[in-house]
Amino acid sequence: MSLGKLTRIVLLVVVTLIIQSTIGLDVRIAGAHPDLMLLLPIVFGIAGGPEDGALVGFLAGMAADLLLPTPLGLSALVDCLVGFAVGASTGTLTLEIWWIPPFIGVAGSVVGVLAYAVLGAVLGDPQFLRVDLVAIVAVVAVTNGVLANAAARAARWALGPTSSDHDRLSFAGRKKW
Amino acid sequence: MAKARRRSRRTLTTLVVLVLISVSVITLDQSGRTHSLASGVKSLASDVFSPLRSGVNAVLDPIGNFFAGAVDYGALQQENRKLQSMLGQLRMQLDQRSFDAKQMAELEKLLAMEKLPYLNSLSTVMAATVGVGTSNFAATIRIDKGRSEGVALDDPVVGAGGLVGQVVEANHSTSVVRLVTDGLSRVGVTFGASAAATVIGRGVGAPMSAELVTTGVKLHRGELLSTSSLLGGEFPPGIPVATAKASGMSTSTGQASVEVQPVANLSDLAYVYVVQWSPTL
Repeated sequence: MSLGKLTRIVLLVVVTLIIQSTIGLDVRIAGAHPDLMLLLPIVFGIAGGPEDGALVGFLAGMAADLLLPTPLGLSALVDCLVGFAVGASTGTLTLEIWWIPPFIGVAGSVVGVLAYAVLGAVLGDPQFLRVDLVAIVAVVAVTNGVLANAAARAARWALGPTSSDHDRLSFAGRKKW
Repeated sequence: MAKARRRSRRTLTTLVVLVLISVSVITLDQSGRTHSLASGVKSLASDVFSPLRSGVNAVLDPIGNFFAGAVDYGALQQENRKLQSMLGQLRMQLDQRSFDAKQMAELEKLLAMEKLPYLNSLSTVMAATVGVGTSNFAATIRIDKGRSEGVALDDPVVGAGGLVGQVVEANHSTSVVRLVTDGLSRVGVTFGASAAATVIGRGVGAPMSAELVTTGVKLHRGELLSTSSLLGGEFPPGIPVATAKASGMSTSTGQASVEVQPVANLSDLAYVYVVQWSPTL
């Protein structure tokens, strides 16, 4: 990964973290607020493939964890798995169709929130499954779906002209293992 | 083909390494021995990030207010401009008065609390709430006072009529308070003559419950539960915590669990007091 690409990714993660911890926390619907940090691995998985999705998911998740009262490393684990899964499963899809990023954004968010809740409960905090999961899933999935196209453009910018489309396609071609 | 295989292997290796790092960090955070290291890193990150967040909030708030005002104005323009403009101004004044009145009520509640017996002998730090619920999965608030003002880890927090929670993260200039409704909150309480119970939070939006420890003593509906020296004396005795929503009594054959509601109005916490309290044990 080039220094320029890494700088752009870090910049995007920091900007998203600021938006999440300011505007993102002000938006509260049915007691739940959006999770923009989860959108990053999803769009990087779409735009760059499983490796970029996992790396950005880890970075974004760890950054979010530093400001959350929940276990450190939990978001990093979930986000890197979500980024990898999105990248690996969308390798052969064309991204020119406008509704594909929102669709994957919604699906990835649903999986991400549920995985976060289950892992949190497994780590010994049962309240992760006692919260209003339907409201959280709905709010996170809808906002991430709406913002997916714009975020995917930002991800393509961060990945730069040497985007790993080729990596993604080659990985997708081998995903039968 | 070979190149593609190498890339696939590299991707898998990257994923495995990232997962292992994440799991290691979670283990460090969850382990009693190394938790202080993880919370120290969190505290440092929060100290670095807080000014940035405050700065962005300071910039965004007026912009948000401007756009809100512009939208209102646009809607009003369809009606009588002059009249609606006056109405808008009056509304703004009313909103301001309502806001002031709301803040005043909060401050009066806090001043009233200062006269309560359980706070008289204890030093307190007054703090404003600067953030509510940073996570969808934990009931917490962020306050604008930290270690530099004397706030310490595990300090009790009171406000709006009773116990609000406990400091779980004390940074340089801000702190995170875990509310009594959070799923990890446990408060030793007493009711009646000297019966003991534990008030347990069930998580965001879920009702709290009291596990009645003392057998043979009935907890009546509406009865007040106040902090005791149970659970290592984490809270000063006598702080109102919750009221019972039903009656219940533990017997020798089984422990009763009664639904309770917090005394403090946790949905409206503009200001709180951090009680500088060292557990007795």
